Amino acid sequence: MTALLSIRDLTVRYRREGVEVTALKGISLDVEAGERLAIIGESGSGKSTLALAVAGLLAEAAEVGGSIEWQKPRSSHSVTASHFQPLGGRDIGFVFQDPSFSLDPVMPVGKQIAEVARTHLNLTWREAYAKAKTLLGRVRLPDSEAALRAYPHQLSGGQKQRVAIAAAIAAAPKLLIADEATSALDTIVQAEIVSLIRGLVNEDGLTLAFISHDIALAATLAERIAVLRHGELVELGDTDQILNAPRHAYTRMLLDAHLGLDAKPLLDRQGASA
Amino acid sequence: MKRLHRFFQTPEAIAGALILALLVAIALAAPLLFPGDPQAIAGPALLPPLQNWSLPLGTDRLGRDVLAELFHGARTSLAVGLAAAAAALLVGAVVGTLAGFAGGLIDEVLMRITDAFQTVPSFLLALAFVSIVGPSLGVVIAAIALGAWTGPARVARAEVLSIRERDYVAGARVIGMHPLEIAFREVLPNALPPVLALSSVIVAAAILTEAALSFLGLGDPNRVTWGGMIAEGRTVLRTAPLLSIVPGIALVLTVLGVYLAGEGVVESTAVRRSLS
Amino acid sequence: MTVLAVSNLSKRYRRGGKPFAAVDDVSFEIGPAETLAVAGPSGSGKSTIARLVLRLLEPDAGRIQFEGADLLILSGAALRARRARLQMVFQDPLAAFNPRSTVARALDDPLRIHGIASRSERPRRIAALLERVGLDAGLAARAIHEISGGQRQRVAIARAIATRPSLIVLDEAVSALDVSVRGQILDLLLDLQRQERIAYLFISHDLGVIRALAHRIVLLEAGRVAESGDARTVIASPQSAVGKALVAATPRLNRIKTP
Ligand SMILES: Nc1ncnc2c1ncn2[C@@H]1O[C@H](COP(=O)(O)OP(=O)(O)OP(=O)(O)O)[C@@H](O)[C@H]1O
Ligand SMILES: Nc1ncnc2c1ncn2[C@@H]1O[C@H](COP(=O)(O)OP(=O)(O)OP(=O)(O)O)[C@@H](O)[C@H]1O
Ligand SMILES: [Mg+2]
Ligand SMILES: [Mg+2]
Repeated sequence: MTALLSIRDLTVRYRREGVEVTALKGISLDVEAGERLAIIGESGSGKSTLALAVAGLLAEAAEVGGSIEWQKPRSSHSVTASHFQPLGGRDIGFVFQDPSFSLDPVMPVGKQIAEVARTHLNLTWREAYAKAKTLLGRVRLPDSEAALRAYPHQLSGGQKQRVAIAAAIAAAPKLLIADEATSALDTIVQAEIVSLIRGLVNEDGLTLAFISHDIALAATLAERIAVLRHGELVELGDTDQILNAPRHAYTRMLLDAHLGLDAKPLLDRQGASA
Repeated sequence: MKRLHRFFQTPEAIAGALILALLVAIALAAPLLFPGDPQAIAGPALLPPLQNWSLPLGTDRLGRDVLAELFHGARTSLAVGLAAAAAALLVGAVVGTLAGFAGGLIDEVLMRITDAFQTVPSFLLALAFVSIVGPSLGVVIAAIALGAWTGPARVARAEVLSIRERDYVAGARVIGMHPLEIAFREVLPNALPPVLALSSVIVAAAILTEAALSFLGLGDPNRVTWGGMIAEGRTVLRTAPLLSIVPGIALVLTVLGVYLAGEGVVESTAVRRSLS
Repeated sequence: MTVLAVSNLSKRYRRGGKPFAAVDDVSFEIGPAETLAVAGPSGSGKSTIARLVLRLLEPDAGRIQFEGADLLILSGAALRARRARLQMVFQDPLAAFNPRSTVARALDDPLRIHGIASRSERPRRIAALLERVGLDAGLAARAIHEISGGQRQRVAIARAIATRPSLIVLDEAVSALDVSVRGQILDLLLDLQRQERIAYLFISHDLGVIRALAHRIVLLEAGRVAESGDARTVIASPQSAVGKALVAATPRLNRIKTP
């Protein structure tokens, strides 16, 4: 097992108007190279903070303790080197919940993707555009030639998210972080995006960190699940174990609160009828 | 408290606040320090400053106490500036809210009226209004407000147009609230911040307009004004230049103080907004 | 006796100069103390239906009968008075309240507007409403942004039931809530339905939630009704393409059943 990155005792505090919020409390976690890891938890549990810390994108006001060590790039042995600093965009692809957050509203999406490829892969514009077109095909945008010239506002939410994913993987990163990447989409589009991410991760051998508040969704995609609560890592295990033999009461509560298509309807539980 | 703290973090805001505080103190102290009519003859005409300690800034062409005039002039400047700006903001906010909230024909009509007012230079408007109705404090205030309400109206309308689409406005309709109550109780207060941000510029402009009107002899004749003092001094500009320069400096300082303090307020609330 | 009967409802918007139907010839009925779910992909017209039913939007065609009377002929004061019986809960509880409001004011408004309680009596009513939705009456003095999202949604429900409505439209009312809070809110809704016989028009794209709570379902696709019927039957064996797609896309927990 080679760890792509090792998080040790990670603590993050935000300070705002004199009030201090501890968003992460001593998180220790190894992300294995090539694995699909889901990070789940309720609102405010620190999921996004963990993702931003890994990507080095935390706000300056955040106070960070502990360490995040990356495996030395392109080395066969698994020596970790703390001086290796991953570069957002090149080594880490990031997909946010709201695609308009990462897309420039006044630039054709093809150019945005090409720009990522050009800066990180040292391509010419022509090569970068060819790459962008291939990528738009890979994220299954119909008519990728026309899509190159489209502006974000001309695309639907699901299409925008596909473009954001294309931009995130344009520089062939090792790690793809998807922070609630499907939460703003309807169930059908969500399922499409999840299967798209699964396919891309398999084809490119990417490592995936999939952040979600939906335990069922996370389980459809991930091999391992990390459960966060109030900034603490309450449980980490294989998806199978988390679903069938949760060790922590909080994980059990999340599972019980899930309303699946096989759950007992509340209507019956309460004996109500129309 | 925090907002106040942030306000005092920029040197410009501190300078502005100090100037304004001094000005308000002067305006409040005027009747105490210089009771009686500032326009009464106090000594020999054209007495230069620093000659007579009971008349530190000397006297003007008619022998009136310049310092007393300056103090009482601050009252007029501030009163007219604040009242005109308040009137302009109130009218602007109400017109803008009605136009933005009602939409359709009402919006169309109100905005055409706003356009009409905006195409006439505000000073000409004030000039014409005072010439027709006759100079008095209230008329001067109304005249200045007449040319200043269009800016706030446009800003208020733009803000209301975006607030109108929010869920809470739909929520207010759902509970059966009357449209006028929705417009003025639910929407207007939330549209105010960007409108109030205009107030420093409007107050400063109002003070200048008042001075200009007085300078042209269209101010309230029963009150001392800085504009009037400058006009008075102009006739003896060569022999006693300070008679025009001193109220001129007072005017510039006041406008600067209002502007700087206003910027400070905008700045401190802007930081607050971007944080939340 | 039906609470709400919608027939042949249509609403067109213009998109890129061309008219298109956001809601197209939609009909359904809701009985007393019944929950009708409206589901469908994004953009299928769910929120537009909610806004039409609440007279926040005017339809281009169709009829809306509410409590046996034509809702569309009402306007002005008559419409405002009628609104007491027809309420709504929004998806984002923060956006649904005036940001300057307090909990007390949010609940005071409907009581005042519909003359339900005198000024002196209202604080007591507000406390009772808060307790009815499982909140501490002491919360009344708080500003809307000073309470949690789940508490806020409870306040939204308290506001909706303040005027004793016969129908509440809930547009994705539990979608933004954490699962633990969501369970409590759903329990509260069911409890209110049993006690006060309130009917719900429950809009959601989450079939799991719908199945847990709704009696009947209407599935929309591109503004048209694709399928409707008993909620559990439709979800168990959808007949329409959109129904099949929605069911297939709903994530499942593949837990090994333990007795
Ligand atoms: N920039 C910030 N400044 C101050 N506090 C912050 C900031 N970002 C996050 N927090 C706080 O840190 C805690 C963790 O937030 P985080 O965004 O990581 O949670 P999350 O699990 O991603 O939640 P959600 O599911 O709502 O996205 C919360 O209490 C949040 O209020
Ligand atoms: N004011 C408007 N002007 C033009 N088109 C509109 C307007 N409001 C909604 N639409 C369009 O009408 C259609 C239906 O929208 P609606 O909001 O009812 O969908 P929805 O089913 O609620 O979707 P979601 O699940 O995303 O909330 C969409 O295509 C939408 O783009
Ligand atoms: Mg987050
Ligand atoms: Mg909707």
